[in-house]
Amino acid sequence: MGTEAIIVFFIAAVVLVGGGMIASKLLAPTSTNPQKLEPYECGIPTQGPTHVQFKVGYYLFAILFLLFDVEMIFLVPWAVVMKNIGLTGLISAIIFILILGLGLLYAWKKKALIWE
Amino acid sequence: MNWDDLLLMRHELQLLAVILIVTCAEIYLSGRDKSRIIPLSLALFGIHMAAGWLWPVEGELFGGMYRTNGLIHLMKSILDVGVFIVILQAGGWARKQLAPENRVSEFFLLIWSSLLGMYYMVSAGDLLMVFLGLELSTLPVAALAAYEVLKMRSAEAGIKFILTAGLASAVTLMGISLLYGSTGTFVLADLGKQMQGNSLEALGFIFFFAGVAFKISLVPFHFWTPDVYEGAPVSVAAYLSVISKGAAVFILMILLMGFAPLLTDLWVNVLYLLAILTMTIGNLFALRQRNLKRLLAYSAVAQAGFIMLGFMSSQQDGKASIIYFMLVYLFSNLAAFGVVQTIEMHTGKEDIGDYEGLYRTNPRLSLVMLLALFSLAGIPPLAGFFGKFFLFMTVASAGYYLLLTIAVINTVISLYYYLLIVRAMFLRKSDNPLPLVTSDGWMRAGLVICVAGIVALGVASGVYDAIYALCAHL
Amino acid sequence: MEKIIFYILSAVILSLSLMSVLSRKLLRSAVYLFGVLTAIAGFYFLIGYHFLGAVQLTVYAGGIVVLIIFSILLTHDIDHQMPTPDWSRVAVAGALCVAGAVMFVQLLQGSLFSRVEAPEQSDLNTVGNTLLNPGGGGYLLPFEVVSILLLAVMIGAIVIAKQRHSVDDSSPEKQAP
Repeated sequence: MGTEAIIVFFIAAVVLVGGGMIASKLLAPTSTNPQKLEPYECGIPTQGPTHVQFKVGYYLFAILFLLFDVEMIFLVPWAVVMKNIGLTGLISAIIFILILGLGLLYAWKKKALIWE
Repeated sequence: MNWDDLLLMRHELQLLAVILIVTCAEIYLSGRDKSRIIPLSLALFGIHMAAGWLWPVEGELFGGMYRTNGLIHLMKSILDVGVFIVILQAGGWARKQLAPENRVSEFFLLIWSSLLGMYYMVSAGDLLMVFLGLELSTLPVAALAAYEVLKMRSAEAGIKFILTAGLASAVTLMGISLLYGSTGTFVLADLGKQMQGNSLEALGFIFFFAGVAFKISLVPFHFWTPDVYEGAPVSVAAYLSVISKGAAVFILMILLMGFAPLLTDLWVNVLYLLAILTMTIGNLFALRQRNLKRLLAYSAVAQAGFIMLGFMSSQQDGKASIIYFMLVYLFSNLAAFGVVQTIEMHTGKEDIGDYEGLYRTNPRLSLVMLLALFSLAGIPPLAGFFGKFFLFMTVASAGYYLLLTIAVINTVISLYYYLLIVRAMFLRKSDNPLPLVTSDGWMRAGLVICVAGIVALGVASGVYDAIYALCAHL
Repeated sequence: MEKIIFYILSAVILSLSLMSVLSRKLLRSAVYLFGVLTAIAGFYFLIGYHFLGAVQLTVYAGGIVVLIIFSILLTHDIDHQMPTPDWSRVAVAGALCVAGAVMFVQLLQGSLFSRVEAPEQSDLNTVGNTLLNPGGGGYLLPFEVVSILLLAVMIGAIVIAKQRHSVDDSSPEKQAP
């Protein structure tokens, strides 16, 4: 795959997306009135900050996801060459998975996987 | 690869087994039986420590990525002793504070994971393993510093530690990448040969050094130390001040003296300056502290400056004096932290003023504290004196007399604030001294080991000779 | 051709990093950071390290930025706007940055990383074989140590994050009739 393809891809992406936006801006009929800028079309206008503080549970899930994401990354190259490298590779990957499996078991037991 | 060769990695495998067993126990045991984990953990780690001392071996594994020899074995065993004392002293705290909240075993697991990282760091034959070990030894400690996260100060300690540690890791990584860019290799043995001593390598080295200096808490990198020591649980502060610092000193020693001979001029000058700064600033700030944990933190900074004296000579005597001082410092500092922990756990007091008249109510604790402080200050019959003596000898034989003078002056300054505590405990009378504190059996055992170490190392002259002999080949 | 892409990517990375550092709103900084990390993946693809590029996208752009955004959303005041620092601090920090950059460029121009070999072919097979090779030049030991690192971090994260829950859990039980 040459770099020309990437260049063409970039240009195509910019032209297609940007062109579409520009075209709709130019061609589409527009009507403005202040009510369109309201956050909701019905109900009472909100007062004060509208963001809420997230629960720590989200964070826990995110970090668990990240850890197993990394595990997956490390296992991909192993899976590709698994047939060639024989027993040593198999055993080392099993150790890797077992240690992280223990971690998963621990998280399970600690009820970190339950949404509260 | 021959599977028998894995026996070279015995230290690591043993500790990994301990970690896995305790994790399984944590998963298997139900809530009520969790307090059984404390004796189980202590027993397992005790076995690991005892077995670790035996049969030092020498060799390489994984194509030179892991290496070990008598000296590295000794370093690991010293760290083992320190960790054993720390968790022994934490036993009562774990039972009282952690067991009801059902998080006893995590405390041990995190400490051990961090220790495992230190093993791999000291044994690394490759900059990649050094970095990985550094990370593994740092990240669990951040969780430990924030262990009592519902207390504001502990949470603050945790966040301060992880932010500064993250920055230090990034700087270290930058240094490693510059070294790699200049030499084209990660392997430590090749690194020494490939180095040309150009300025890119110097910058890479300085960046790497800055990251390690953060862990030793040398002076421009020490700002996290007092806050983290004050906020973190006392056991964690003790762990940071002895084990974490010890491992960083060891890896610095291995890298500087073993693998970067071309940069010797550079780092001797850098360390010369930093040793003076660290000793002086650490001591001067310690003078004004009233909180005992902060005082011990600044005292730990100053002691780090003393350790740097040993780097003035990359010969056998420099290495031996550093390791011997670390061993002595380990017993002395852990004894002091143990007493502070006992008092804090039972009364919640941690100011010097609260210690007034302590001798009348708690004579044995006061005596332990007296021994620990005298050893830290370096009063003759105790081990601390010999630790400092050998460091000073190293400096003198390397010919840095100005540095030696400054170090001696600093010893006197440090004596002043150590004596302040002694005066509060023994000479001051207080209307309402602290009540009699009965420490639990584990803490007592930990303190006894420390005192035995302080006294025995001062008497037994063979220890230094043995270390000196091991230092012949790094 | 490659040079053009390289300079485009560099410009994107530099400008987005600057915006990420200079933005006074946390959430915006995080989004700029996302852009930086994605553009770095572009570098990896450019030099033919496809696996590394994929890792960069999944772990950094996909995982870490999500984590950062979640932790920003955990804070009390998400709309919090950092105060603009006074000009003297900006001046000092800027001067330090410029000095550091000048020193760095000087150093890098002096030595062109001549000793680093040109990147070899690095498809997934090579990566896999090197990663799991126990002998010289292999990375089996770091591979295993990473699993322990992940385990330790998992335990640490759970024990810290779960603590609030355990305290919250215990209080309703006491109040329960």
